[in-house]
Amino acid sequence: MKKAIALAAAALMAVSLTACGGGSSSTAQTEAQTQAAAEETQAAASEGSDLDYVKGKGKLVVGVTDFEPMDYKDDSGNWIGFDADLAAAFAKSLGVDVEFVEINWDNKIMELDGKTIDCVWNGMTLTDEVKSSMSTTNAYCNNSQIVILPKDKADQYKDKDSLKDLKFAVESGSAGEEQAKELGAEYTPVESQANALMEVSSGTSDAAIIDSLMAAAMVGEGTSYENLTYTVKLNDEEYGVGFRKGSDLTEKLNQFFADSYKDGSMKKLADTYKVSAALIEQ
Amino acid sequence: MDKFLEQLPIVFGALNIGFLQTLKLFFVTLIGAFPLGLVIAFGSMSRFKPISYIAKVIVWIIRGTPLMIQLLILYYFPGLVFHQAIWGGGENGRFTAAAISFIINYSCYFSEIYRGGIQSVPKGQEEAGLVLGMTRSQIFRHVTLLQMIKNILPPISNEILTLVKDTSLARIIALQEIIWAGQSFMKGSHGISGAIWPLFFTALYYLIWNGIMTVLLGKLEKKLEYFR
Repeated sequence: MKKAIALAAAALMAVSLTACGGGSSSTAQTEAQTQAAAEETQAAASEGSDLDYVKGKGKLVVGVTDFEPMDYKDDSGNWIGFDADLAAAFAKSLGVDVEFVEINWDNKIMELDGKTIDCVWNGMTLTDEVKSSMSTTNAYCNNSQIVILPKDKADQYKDKDSLKDLKFAVESGSAGEEQAKELGAEYTPVESQANALMEVSSGTSDAAIIDSLMAAAMVGEGTSYENLTYTVKLNDEEYGVGFRKGSDLTEKLNQFFADSYKDGSMKKLADTYKVSAALIEQ
Repeated sequence: MDKFLEQLPIVFGALNIGFLQTLKLFFVTLIGAFPLGLVIAFGSMSRFKPISYIAKVIVWIIRGTPLMIQLLILYYFPGLVFHQAIWGGGENGRFTAAAISFIINYSCYFSEIYRGGIQSVPKGQEEAGLVLGMTRSQIFRHVTLLQMIKNILPPISNEILTLVKDTSLARIIALQEIIWAGQSFMKGSHGISGAIWPLFFTALYYLIWNGIMTVLLGKLEKKLEYFR
């Protein structure tokens, strides 16, 4: 009896061990594995063409975060926004379905390389870091990094030089963090741009540096940050879409951008979501 | 204030959906971890040395590393290291990966609690059972088990309350539980942007749920009180 229990225990532990390794004995997962394996052979056969991989599985998985006006949900839970609508149109042009998956922004490169998503299309600033870890498209939208301050202090900080003594909060790994470094100011990296605003609002930091497109939606009348305002614009930068390194979808999307800019559909979308002032000619 | 009243139903709706996900993870973890913990406990108490070593090493690794890292490894490693994204990118895959991580993690903690509970039953009872001609499994089922359950209830209750709150760790792999839902209003979601209060409001959900859990577990403890 003792031996029987020991054996059963050993068997179950073996199962839990393989589960640790990422597989499992359940049929559903075995199926998933076979499918994934099949997909891989397919990808390998075509020398890792991302286009064939996406066409093979019949859908383009787009990694997004909730970010008005680029990607956000409408009342019935469907993804809309300038980026979301454009992504849907791009998928349609490839003849595949589009699937939006909300990701943790810090993990975007892992999501891409781990193939849980096929592209990052979410108002992503083209920083050196992004460009070195992804295959990025041409820029399609202008953006800038701007300084957020409490309203009552804003008058004292009108230019770059006056900012040096402030303690900043910035999103970890964001373009705002690069700007804070460049300023030579003291700063705290926090989890998101929204958290950076909370730092300023609660007084734990003096100021924040965030995207101007985002600041327009998040600060001022009708938000929880009525006491905050934005002042100095620190730089000009651009948004792009990121694919896996070496992906052939990047070229495909550049072409799509050019076509839809030419026929006016891109401009029309930009008007719908009020970002046409920031749109870049393709 | 008008603004707040206008936002309240929208926020409630979104937080409820998030909290359902939290509860789903909570229950699936308990259902999986209770039995698996017992298996690991038997493993670590096994007199067959290799099995007890394996069980102890597993418990050491799982209890010795952060659950957050375990979530990241389980979800991303299949795609990153083995180039097979077995979980897929969708919500279901994320949930499955999170549930398996939580089950493995919590069963290791449970196993140690079980072991303590089993070993707290006096050895004399086992010897008495053997003298009466009972098999070891009969002794476990008829003599040890209930006493063990009574002994482990307080520490297990502790783990259950911790689990309710630990589910929020799953947001690292973008499982949209209630904190994720609350935080999304800071950036903008459902037409509300720049709102901080929903994030802090989520604490009420945990508080109420843990209140219910505390009452239920207290009742269970009372029921087992005659048994001493």
